Amino acid sequence: MQQLLNGIFLGSIYALFAIGFTLVFGVLDRLNLAHSAVFSTSAFVGIELVTRAGLSIWVTLPIIFVFGGVLGLVIERVAFRPLKDRHDAHFAGLISSIALGAMFLALLQAVFGPDTRRFPPDAFPRQRIEFAGSTVSVLQLVIVAVAFALMVGLTLMVSRSRLGRGMRAVAENPHAARVLGIDVDRITALTFALSTALGGVAGVLFALNVNSAQISMGTSIELKGLAVIIVGGLGSLPGAMLGGLIVGLAEVFAVAYVGSSWRDVIAFGLLFAILLLRPQGIFGARKVREI
Amino acid sequence: MRRLTGSIAGAAVLALALSACGSGDSTTTGGGGDTSALKGTGTGDTCKITTPVPIGAVFSLTGAAASYGESQKKGLELATEELKTMGGVTYDVKIEDDATDPQQGIAVFERFVTKDKKSLIIGPTLSNTAKQTDPIAQEGKTPVLAVSNTAAGITEIGDYIFRDSLTEGAVIPQTVDAAKAKFGLSKVVVMYSNDDAFTESGYQAFKAALDKSGVTITKTITFAKSDTNFRAQLTEAKGAAPEALIVSALIEAAVPLVTQARELGITVPIIGGNGFNSPKLMAGAGKSADGVVVGAAWNSASSGPENEAFLTAYRAKYSADPDQFAAQAYTGLKLVDAAVRAGCSGEREDIKTHLAELKDVPTALGKFTMTATRDADTPAVVQVVEGGKFAVLK
Amino acid sequence: MLEFVDAYASTITFMALTGVFAYSFYAVLVAGQLSLAQAGIASAAAFTSSLAVPAEPLFGVVPRLVVGIAVGMSVGAFLAFLLGLPVMRLRGVFLAIATLAFGEVVRILLINQSWTGGAQGLSFPKLVGIPQAWLALAAVAYWFWRLGGSRLGRAFAAIREDELAARAMGIDVSRHRMTAFVTSGAVAGLYGVMLAYFVRFAEPNAFGFSAAVDGLVTAVVGGTIFFIGPVLGSTFLTWLPELQRAIGVEAGWIRPFVSGLLLLLVILFLPGGLAALIPHRRRGIMTPPDAPLDLPALPAPGTPIASLRAIRKDYGGVHAVHEVDLDIAAGEIVGLIGPNGAGKTTLVNMLSGLVPPSGGEGTVVGIPLGSGVPAHRIALAGVSRTFQQIKLFNRLSALDNALVGAHRVSRPTMLRRLVLLPSARRDEKRALGQAFAQLTRVGLADRAHLPAGDLSYGDQRRLEIARALAAHPSLLILDEPAAGMNHVEAHLLSVLIRALAEDGVTVLLIEHNVRMVLETCTRVVVLDFGEVIAAGDPATIARDPRVVEAYLGAEDDQEEPA
Repeated sequence: MQQLLNGIFLGSIYALFAIGFTLVFGVLDRLNLAHSAVFSTSAFVGIELVTRAGLSIWVTLPIIFVFGGVLGLVIERVAFRPLKDRHDAHFAGLISSIALGAMFLALLQAVFGPDTRRFPPDAFPRQRIEFAGSTVSVLQLVIVAVAFALMVGLTLMVSRSRLGRGMRAVAENPHAARVLGIDVDRITALTFALSTALGGVAGVLFALNVNSAQISMGTSIELKGLAVIIVGGLGSLPGAMLGGLIVGLAEVFAVAYVGSSWRDVIAFGLLFAILLLRPQGIFGARKVREI
Repeated sequence: MRRLTGSIAGAAVLALALSACGSGDSTTTGGGGDTSALKGTGTGDTCKITTPVPIGAVFSLTGAAASYGESQKKGLELATEELKTMGGVTYDVKIEDDATDPQQGIAVFERFVTKDKKSLIIGPTLSNTAKQTDPIAQEGKTPVLAVSNTAAGITEIGDYIFRDSLTEGAVIPQTVDAAKAKFGLSKVVVMYSNDDAFTESGYQAFKAALDKSGVTITKTITFAKSDTNFRAQLTEAKGAAPEALIVSALIEAAVPLVTQARELGITVPIIGGNGFNSPKLMAGAGKSADGVVVGAAWNSASSGPENEAFLTAYRAKYSADPDQFAAQAYTGLKLVDAAVRAGCSGEREDIKTHLAELKDVPTALGKFTMTATRDADTPAVVQVVEGGKFAVLK
Repeated sequence: MLEFVDAYASTITFMALTGVFAYSFYAVLVAGQLSLAQAGIASAAAFTSSLAVPAEPLFGVVPRLVVGIAVGMSVGAFLAFLLGLPVMRLRGVFLAIATLAFGEVVRILLINQSWTGGAQGLSFPKLVGIPQAWLALAAVAYWFWRLGGSRLGRAFAAIREDELAARAMGIDVSRHRMTAFVTSGAVAGLYGVMLAYFVRFAEPNAFGFSAAVDGLVTAVVGGTIFFIGPVLGSTFLTWLPELQRAIGVEAGWIRPFVSGLLLLLVILFLPGGLAALIPHRRRGIMTPPDAPLDLPALPAPGTPIASLRAIRKDYGGVHAVHEVDLDIAAGEIVGLIGPNGAGKTTLVNMLSGLVPPSGGEGTVVGIPLGSGVPAHRIALAGVSRTFQQIKLFNRLSALDNALVGAHRVSRPTMLRRLVLLPSARRDEKRALGQAFAQLTRVGLADRAHLPAGDLSYGDQRRLEIARALAAHPSLLILDEPAAGMNHVEAHLLSVLIRALAEDGVTVLLIEHNVRMVLETCTRVVVLDFGEVIAAGDPATIARDPRVVEAYLGAEDDQEEPA
């Protein structure tokens, strides 16, 4: 039971990270590998806000949401927009986002130094709840709640709001969208901003969950994030949520029943299997070939 | 714009090539040219060498091992400063970054050995990098003093390779004996990160020592060195109902592991390897760290005069407590100084001879003797966290 | 100078080794695939070779390094083959992620083995120095240099630019992609072995995600179109840290920041990578070589070329093509007309094998249609086509486009080019002759050297036809070739098509320009809603009231809205 809960909590954070990834891919057909740098940077900035400025975590989260969004605007403007019409836009975007991510991390070290940072011990109530023989901390429950609230909010926004309609139009056919008067550049920028805003919040929640933040914390979760979006379906928001839970649970049960050394093999094996058997993932749509 | 970037890159490469071929930089005194410049008069405290002894240091100042490299740099710079005030012999210490990339480490070593003609190299930070860089120094007959390499196969590279860092194999048997005596252990769970050379060697040392003491390992659980969420593994460990949790991990993992273990209701003693020996343990884990037993190559609570002086000076300069990396780097330069003064020479051969002969040298790490295999012999200590500080386990 | 080499020996060696690694990425990027498994493959190769390399030279003669390289490259090729089998049908990002996952799995597997030393790694003797490393780089670079002008290299480029069009030109895409994969694996294996025997050490962690990304970055920065790219990329990136050190950029955060910045600048402002900075000789206006290809005779007039019986294509509930019977005999010019959405292109896609029929039977140039029949087989049997949306290989020159078209009638030259056999040169010349002849036929001879993407719309349409003709097809399918042409151009096209028919090429023409169809074709078939509503000679069709109603509209002389 404890493991089940562990899996759910782990999975919810994976999902929150992945949902940003999949949003950009679904709408803009781009893989933003600077997402992990936003994740790390936001964690550090969040810790700084709580430690130095003495802000409560509830105030910090919305600030980080905006901060992450701003980073996303920068990433879009610098690393992706100039490559828009290039034939090799996919590869080039991959590399430019890697380069920009590396620059962010270097700046992170410049400001904060290379050491691990932690929240002050009183940043969050450390109460624990006993539940069906397992221990759950209030913090973990809050993390799951926030993660789900954000994901549900995003899904609703995409399906109901005007911005969401614009995003779906651009996802279908950017040229047609432009002809129809949709400001594709603005939608693109906002999509990036939204995705990294979520990634930033994910970073702070992740750091809260383990009470530590390192410069390299984004790298391993980025790989897991890729597994999540493939399993769930590239471009599908509910897919990212479900995929996150599946990967989280699979990992935890791998530790419990297979052996912790093989934990990551399970995650990547799952990824591989899905790619071979059902490449569109659980919720993804198969693209019809155009001739 | 295209042409510009290309031309700049091209011109820069050309400039580099020319600068390398041209006249040397400031540190070409010593070694190849004037052979007597690094030999001095007198001995020990009265030794006087006119030219600064060129020392190169290679640390990981960026990249994955950056936090260790930072500590080492601080320790080394403190020692350099202190040696300046002693007089008679001065050291020109150049610290280079290998960016946690063995390829860069190799390049820097090569330059230190052939071009800059350093008398000795300190470092590198990681053992696996050392396995690739030290052979170059060995071939170039340049002594290396490792200050954080604890893996097997380092000093075996050759007779120019020395170290002042105790291996896990030297520390852990003592830790296991002390823990068994104190807690009466018969069955334990062992956890370690199996993708790191240091922690893996720590695990192997733990396993050997536990087997020798007749303690049963009911479960062995691995994790990755970059992990910070251990709830799944700890839940498994808890399920095996051990009498103690034995952990070989780096400090980045140790802190969340200890915290989460206590959160999950694991109350049994936690016994850690050398990676736990850092003030970050208490700073990060707070109350959860109380009672954690740590096998250490450096006793931060030792009241020896050298250690006290080191602690005071470090705190004054950096407003923070030093960790083992800083202590070993600091001691490293002091040992080099001892070797240089013993022969009153900054020549590579003489340093090599006298490093091998170091015996009972008082240092912050305790009394230091260089073994016949050029490994460190200092008193290992078993510590326990009490009231937010390390104390010796009794 | 010697002092320089001494002091920088390892950097100079790494330059070569990193270049080799970058070539393993180039090998797949040149065919348009992004594979990231090379790091894991390199690592497996290195460790496996440690098991196989003897302590003494083999049989007293064969150097240990050679044994190691042979083992490493075989392991690399084999692993790439194993990986390639399941992932061959993945594209783009999916392929990248799948190969990345594979690399990670290999890393974790190797870390958990004891024979690799686990995280503590394995020691290797030093068997590689500057000469060995540069020899390896030279050999690999030579291979890719020879690839550049060969039929195989052009096929890769075609797949990269437009996979579907490549298929339609007779290129077996799956086999080619697998070849690229296996080559990449072998080169990665070479790198792994050379690296281990140079730095005297290997650990599985050194070959993880970061290493893969580094290799990819090197390849992309260098440029993935011209063979010299990886060498440039590795030169730039290997010297960058040393350069920063030399000009005094302090360690700490500045160095990785500057590296990232430079990478970003190169990617943003140098699309072709560093290789694009090298001015490469543009072939100017060319004189046609006079080395004719030995082309087989086209089928005699009247021979059945294609025959469809009750052919159907359904997409979900939509009957795109419904119970169509069609016969085409050699020497005919068959016009296929009908309103938009009538199913013309779908019918033609089935004829050319790009889409399998949902029902019915069909035979084209002797090959029965079915879901197991790949498009390239039909193309190789003598069917060539153009596309409704122009599908040229945009970054290749017009001549190269036509050369790809000649894939079917030209002979493979790669292996012979490696040993510089003159017969390879002759075959290349012949293919060149064929390609040039087709360009001349459509009037593009003076623009042969221009990139296809730079041509005007009309020229591009004609280039597509030239490319299709270069294959010496028995059946030439033209899908709206006159779209966007004015009357004069359309008339010239019509003249061309009649000339082709006189030369023995059978033509199936889809067109909306009805006047042109009536002027050009010997027979016209009219489709509407997926069914044939009329067929016969042009004059009859023009008067058929059903056709007039469905397609031409009420007025007689109405010009077809283009």
